[in-house]
Amino acid sequence: MVEAPRIRVVLPREPQAELVATGAVERVGRSIGFSRDTLAEVKLAVVEACLNALEYGGGQVEVEVVGFPDKPPRMEVVVVDHGPGFDPATLPTPSLQAQLGGERKRGWGLELMRHLMDEVDIHSVPGCTRVRMTRREGGR
Amino acid sequence: METFQLEVATRNGPLAVIEVGGYINNEAGEAIVTTARRLLEEGHRQLLFDLAATRIINSIGISLLLEVLEMVMEVKGTLAFCAPSPSIAKTFQIMGLAQYARIFESRAAALEALSASA
Repeated sequence: MVEAPRIRVVLPREPQAELVATGAVERVGRSIGFSRDTLAEVKLAVVEACLNALEYGGGQVEVEVVGFPDKPPRMEVVVVDHGPGFDPATLPTPSLQAQLGGERKRGWGLELMRHLMDEVDIHSVPGCTRVRMTRREGGR
Repeated sequence: METFQLEVATRNGPLAVIEVGGYINNEAGEAIVTTARRLLEEGHRQLLFDLAATRIINSIGISLLLEVLEMVMEVKGTLAFCAPSPSIAKTFQIMGLAQYARIFESRAAALEALSASA
């Protein structure tokens, strides 16, 4: 049985720290045969999860990437922060029409994650937010 | 550290073509807004962003592109993008950006269409 490749990183507190996580996604994805296009979509979703953790979370931000060399291959990414937590059900769905002419133009991160990944599960309580995302090659 | 490149490649009548490369995040997005503002002040009303060398646009970069879109809409101009990677094209599709901006597969196709509508 082939062992699933796994990389765990702690994001540094420095500009573009989120790209440390995309490097891990790239390495794991390539090792299980993900296409360039699927990898690009997973990397964007992971960037968004990391940006949320870095901006709204707190403490150490940990990212774990696991590749499953199934047919088709599958990847799981978990992003954990230790901030105050949030209720994802309270976040509004962004609307371009509503945003144009308005002050707030942010809020696309979670929407992108949900469209780019096959599954996005968020478990958040004060002190620990855990975002688990999966994507199959050829999914979405 | 991912670098970011921005260059105004063409100024031709109403059209300005801006080549953008690398990772579009907050810093790069601010540079794009500044450049777009200057081009609009110079009188260009068609802004075409060539994304052939752009690797990732994060949601903060997206929010700044929306500022550019507003600026262009205020002067009744045209905002266009060309040569997006499949993942960037998908991002634009998720957002519904094609309702407000023109998106082309190639720079040649964009230039042909924009010159016809100038």
